Amino acid sequence: MKVKVISILVLNQEKALDFYTNKLGFVKKTDIPLDGDSRWLTVVSKEEQDGPEILLEPGPLHFEPARIYQKALFDAGIPFTQFNVDDVQAEYERLLALGVEFSLPPTPMGTVKLAVLNDTCGNNIQLVEML
Amino acid sequence: MTFYTSEIYRIRASVYANQAQLDTVIGIRKYIDQHFDTDLNLNLLSNARFVSKYHLLRLFKRYYGVTPKQYLTDKRIEKSKAYLREGKSVMETCFAMGFESPCSFTTLFKSRTGQRPSEFQKSATFAKSVIS
Repeated sequence: MKVKVISILVLNQEKALDFYTNKLGFVKKTDIPLDGDSRWLTVVSKEEQDGPEILLEPGPLHFEPARIYQKALFDAGIPFTQFNVDDVQAEYERLLALGVEFSLPPTPMGTVKLAVLNDTCGNNIQLVEML
Repeated sequence: MTFYTSEIYRIRASVYANQAQLDTVIGIRKYIDQHFDTDLNLNLLSNARFVSKYHLLRLFKRYYGVTPKQYLTDKRIEKSKAYLREGKSVMETCFAMGFESPCSFTTLFKSRTGQRPSEFQKSATFAKSVIS
């Protein structure tokens, strides 16, 4: 078994694609039209384009429990998932300048440094730097 | 303050209170990162941080969840992938990463990634060309 795709629930796929590519710096990999307005839409890390894909999945729009789960995590400030970066402080400053909001500024936590941002699509996303 | 933020502060105070130990393991990890391409061993690492090698091994595993040897191997494989993606040859990558022979490099690379270095390079180059 291999990890090829992980899902992130998003409230709006087009808005999510814009945020994950133009703000976070991911690259669009696959975009397949599905039923209605839904798409099989994935992005990958720019530095690791053969690595795991992130599926921007519009689950909250079509399945009420997914919407409730996503909102409960968001309201508690809990990250839906996390991405590794080389320098959390530098990413924090770069993203702040682009208007991204953080619920947790860069914070050391043992052997890592963390920050948590709002992806504007219903999720908190954690950035992690290994110290 | 969110629930998550308050939990981060609470767990940090209870689990990561010993800053001296953290400084030691973080120093060791940085040393490995800077010298991954040399002949590293536990004696060298313990001398670099002035701690006994058994204490070092325990501390590193406690805070990073892997042994220094596992961490070093992962680092070499990760760097090898970057080299191969850049188009460096398998032989060049092997010696730049501090591996002793192309044979041991290929065996280890395949066991960690499921592909031989040459296969990995081919598929990585193909994936890149498809996206761009």
